[in-house]
Amino acid sequence: MHEWSLADAVVRSLLGFMASEGLDSIKEVEVTWGEILELDTGIFEQAFYELSKGTPLEGAKLVLKEEKAYFRCNSCGAEWDFKTADEILSREFEILEEPAGVRESPLHFLPDLARTLLRCPKCGSRDFDLISGKDLRVSKVVA
Amino acid sequence: MRAPDVLQDEALRRVSRADRLLMVASGKGGVGKSIISISLASTLSEMGRKVGLLDLDVHGPSIPQVFRSERLIKATKHGLEPLRMNGLELMSLGYIVRDSPVPLGGEDKMSLLKMMVALTNWSHLDYLVVDLPPGTGDEMILAIRALKRHPRSGTVLVTLPSKLSLSIVRRALDLLRDEGIRVLGIIENMSYIRCGGDIVRPFGSLALDYSSLGTQVLGSLPLEPAVEEALASGKLPHKASREVMEAVSAIASRIEVMM
Repeated sequence: MHEWSLADAVVRSLLGFMASEGLDSIKEVEVTWGEILELDTGIFEQAFYELSKGTPLEGAKLVLKEEKAYFRCNSCGAEWDFKTADEILSREFEILEEPAGVRESPLHFLPDLARTLLRCPKCGSRDFDLISGKDLRVSKVVA
Repeated sequence: MRAPDVLQDEALRRVSRADRLLMVASGKGGVGKSIISISLASTLSEMGRKVGLLDLDVHGPSIPQVFRSERLIKATKHGLEPLRMNGLELMSLGYIVRDSPVPLGGEDKMSLLKMMVALTNWSHLDYLVVDLPPGTGDEMILAIRALKRHPRSGTVLVTLPSKLSLSIVRRALDLLRDEGIRVLGIIENMSYIRCGGDIVRPFGSLALDYSSLGTQVLGSLPLEPAVEEALASGKLPHKASREVMEAVSAIASRIEVMM
């Protein structure tokens, strides 16, 4: 469900960028999204094109690029991926998605909470780094 | 061309939807910023304003300790919905992670702050009151970026009447001034104790020191044991005593005029 609010953020940010750079149109925009966000790319695309209508961004092609998530423990050196992280994720904390009424982990909304919601699967430490796969960013603009 | 910072842009845009942006900061910990943020937000709400209260303290969020709720934060098409309680809209990480630690620093903390603010779906507010944690780190840097872009913004600084506290507050004040941020004034907390008919100032008076800061004192609040009792019994802190309520009300009225 956060696809709409994130797509809205991307569209508004790009419109501000176009205004500041004096661009009348954009041919293509590449958005890199972290695996942890668990974006439904179909919904994100639909939201992006819908929200772009009637704006200078209308007509721009959206390219979505997924960035895989990796974690590395600073205590024992273990590395793990998102699949493992999802399996060991604390279910103690939840956010309620409306209107579906589905309970989701806060990790998908706020990936930087990883150290609160996860521990190293090998040594149990919270001192690990989320090396990649958490961001949402505009990685390329083709004017 | 530098690619836009999507989350920061959205965070600043969402904050700027409020008509007025009021930061409560200090630089020093333990001076009562959160109690004052909550009291000002509640008083402004009681004055008929539509108020949101944003807790930017990632490591020690206090707002859920006062506005207690077991409700889950809801996510909708528009983002994360603030809790609506006591006539206020409230957002704090404490409503998401409860009492768990949030070990974060540097870029990760800034990234978390941006994402939380970028996703929070405030309604059209008269005031967004922001409770900042101690220090002049990531939270204040993000706050400064928001304050700079908001046409009706201001910061109040909270201090104890001690030279140590004031010396740290002075650093925050210098930073804000250097960045061109409007400082509305200082609130002196735990200023005095009323003992029968007498007023005792356990930390002495800093009146002369304040005058050297070049900003005004918006008001002073007593060291009032009833505040702690109010919190323990689920009452709002500014309702602890008539004296506290009147002092907060006078400060809120001054802020109204200034903003």
